[in-house]
Amino acid sequence: MATPISGPRPSVPPALAPERAVVWPQRTVRTLANGLQVVLVESHTIPKFTAQLLFRSGNAAVAQDSPGLAEITAAVVRTGTASRTSRRIEEDLRRMGADLSTGAGADSSSISFSGLAEFADGLLELVADLAQNASFPVGEFERERRQRLDELKIERTTPGFLAGERLRKVLFGAHPYSVVAPTEEQVQAYRHEQLVDYYRQHYRPGNALLVAAGDFAAEAMLARIEKTLGAWQGARPDTVEQPEPPHLRGRRVYLVYLPDTVQTQVLVGNTAITRQHPDWLRLTLANSIFGGAFNSRLVMNIREQKGYTYSPRSSVNALRQNGYFSVHAAVRNEVVAATLTEIFYEADRMRALPVSAEELDDARNYLSGVFSLGLATQDGLAGQLATVYLNELPEDYLETYREKIRALTAEDVVAAARKYFDSANAQIVVVGDAKQVRDQAALFGDVETYDAQGNKI
Amino acid sequence: MSKLQIPIEHEALRNGLQVIVSPDHSAPVTTVGVYYNIGFRLEPRGRSGFAHLFEHMMFQGSENAGKMMHIRLVNSSGGVLNGSTRYDVTNYFQAVPSNALERVLWLEADRMRALKVDDENLRNQRDVVKEEVRVNVLNQPYGGFPWLDLPPVANRNWANAHNFYGDFSDLDAATLADVQVFFQTYYAPNNAVLLMLGDVDPQEGFVLARRYFEGIPPNANIPRADVSEPPQTEERRATVEEKFGTLPALAIGYHAPRRRTPEWHAAAMLDQVLHGGRAGRIFRTLVLEKQLAVDTEGGIHYPMGDVFDYNGPMLMVTRILHKPEFTADQTIAAYDEIIGEVQQKGITPEELEQVKVKFRSDYYSALEGGMGGYLPRFGLMHFLACFTLFDGDPSLVNTILDGFLAATPADVQAIAQKMMVPTNRSIVLRQPVKKGGA
Repeated sequence: MATPISGPRPSVPPALAPERAVVWPQRTVRTLANGLQVVLVESHTIPKFTAQLLFRSGNAAVAQDSPGLAEITAAVVRTGTASRTSRRIEEDLRRMGADLSTGAGADSSSISFSGLAEFADGLLELVADLAQNASFPVGEFERERRQRLDELKIERTTPGFLAGERLRKVLFGAHPYSVVAPTEEQVQAYRHEQLVDYYRQHYRPGNALLVAAGDFAAEAMLARIEKTLGAWQGARPDTVEQPEPPHLRGRRVYLVYLPDTVQTQVLVGNTAITRQHPDWLRLTLANSIFGGAFNSRLVMNIREQKGYTYSPRSSVNALRQNGYFSVHAAVRNEVVAATLTEIFYEADRMRALPVSAEELDDARNYLSGVFSLGLATQDGLAGQLATVYLNELPEDYLETYREKIRALTAEDVVAAARKYFDSANAQIVVVGDAKQVRDQAALFGDVETYDAQGNKI
Repeated sequence: MSKLQIPIEHEALRNGLQVIVSPDHSAPVTTVGVYYNIGFRLEPRGRSGFAHLFEHMMFQGSENAGKMMHIRLVNSSGGVLNGSTRYDVTNYFQAVPSNALERVLWLEADRMRALKVDDENLRNQRDVVKEEVRVNVLNQPYGGFPWLDLPPVANRNWANAHNFYGDFSDLDAATLADVQVFFQTYYAPNNAVLLMLGDVDPQEGFVLARRYFEGIPPNANIPRADVSEPPQTEERRATVEEKFGTLPALAIGYHAPRRRTPEWHAAAMLDQVLHGGRAGRIFRTLVLEKQLAVDTEGGIHYPMGDVFDYNGPMLMVTRILHKPEFTADQTIAAYDEIIGEVQQKGITPEELEQVKVKFRSDYYSALEGGMGGYLPRFGLMHFLACFTLFDGDPSLVNTILDGFLAATPADVQAIAQKMMVPTNRSIVLRQPVKKGGA
């Protein structure tokens, strides 16, 4: 139709156009009389909605008695209620075009669900049924127990899992955050009444948050939630005091011996902070420059220059009472020492030298831009809201995030790096074939060796 | 039932580049994709893994955007990006704040016009790709199973049967000359589609597309490999060693009906009946009821894609991880019983109706996100691109569900009887070398 424009092709990239305002949608926030906190946001991208019913307790709350209990409780919750069999639940979900998953981490348990907007009533009724009337069929419990035992066998042959498990043990010591998975013996020891007890004490409206985003009218959705979950009763359970994580001094190496591996999983970490900590955004920015983005120093160095690895990254991991900073890379066996050298080189460079104005600007733009991508999807919105309300962040967190990131300086980055990229006291986990990598790893500290089951050898 | 209607504007540039814009201004975010009609199925013989290695090279620099510049400019504009190599397409995509649209088009056009890479880049990315293969396949329990294990057993045409990730010897043999020849051959505008979705004005999108892309010369001679597969006449079996995991696994694949036929619609519904999550007959029976499997998954084009995004022969696959106390034969017998029941008794209208609702619901979610949600409209981009390159009709995005929703219980039973026969299937056992510590 139109005449092609054959103007000059500039050899430099065009500048950014003026930015369109980022406006977070209005949300409806209510606490029902029974204590259930409800956060709703309308998003009409597709005729569906997505939601998370979150309970503010997870595996950490019961770690002293029974590691992983919250997780197996969540697995059995979906397998029966007073009025629905397992098969009925799955077929009800399918007839509403719905997906549902239940799970638990260290700090929370969840029933996440999404489905067609036209079936919102039925789906909420089903979720309310699971939250209030789960019946814990004994056969389903025993099946899930055997299932968990088989899954554990697979996890303990997976390098990434073994590395993460060992790092958490080292960093968190006596604190329940040290446990990411139960042992087979602990799973064998689960008793049916423990699951029922956990459910009664923690699946309570006073302990819960319901976040939903999607194709609904907020007031109508709120009325629907009142109707299905308003009569539910139960206060927030007491929180348990947990021991402090250890104060680790000096580098040590933890080698998990997995024979005959053709690659080595490297994971380096330090304890860090929660999302509520005043340094959180500073650390997020420093991490982004160090290794948190494709365009970061670590990726540039050990992937794009040296070709040691495919997908190295660093991350800041928030837990409710604590947090940790970690760097991971799966590398070929010959370059384990070389990789650790570069990780510490980049960490120390972050600590020693200020970042350039350009690098700072790039990273601030990256974080503020990527944050707003969450606006475009129902999952993105629900995820952002869950983060804010589950972590009890300020009400204006979403609205002020971008300006706060843009106000950070090179001094903030150096300060965060000095405090949290604590390379002198970093804990080093290496998962691989001990015969091939022990000597390399030993260059970085005394080595303790474990087998895949967690036994010291 | 509310029907989703996606706005689509479509133009072809004079050099053959297809341009598609789908506006939605509800958030200031734009997704930009470039799809090339070349995937690992079509890579040159003796160069297994080359299409994927080449995808990495497309991030190594072009005439005006040196190494890392594409990545740096997208990230520093507040966006994310990636690429992937699939059976029949290779894609490059980014989601950015909408004010970065022109910049992204400049970058994509620069690398479509003139890839500029050297031996050092090739050596570097060859190393990176080998670590990718190790972390995803060679050093993982059940790595590559069954997407790399099943095709060589089920297929006879090299295009469908070779190692799609690449033998290391083939990766080592790849040269810079191979890279440039592949680029000149397949990465031409008339073998591609450009997509702009979200916060973009269609007229502005087309103007920018012409400005940056229309001067790129087309290739008049793009070869099309023959990907046809001779009909299978007997069951095929193979055994592969599992080095890390201690549970036995097996995969069963059937050649699926031709895409865009009534049988394909019925097969997709059958796929949902069998593999549709925990309500699907296979998971329900083998994991929840008989409890001889630890996990089952499957589907047409599983696990690399879905029923829409391929263009040639394809398998419907079931992957079963089973308990060591059951033999492979016992597991297959239990599986065959499930299939036999569908073949003999068919399915009820109620079951089919449930499956259709779920299929429609899944389709909407795929359009909106489709890749873990981090890339808005990934699925919309992906389907628009595939329907344009394979079918010449992006508007299928709004109509393709109709054929599936018209399938009847009799259609589903008939395709189960025709497709799921031993002579049309291949089975691969993945056998642990270590025994479980049970």
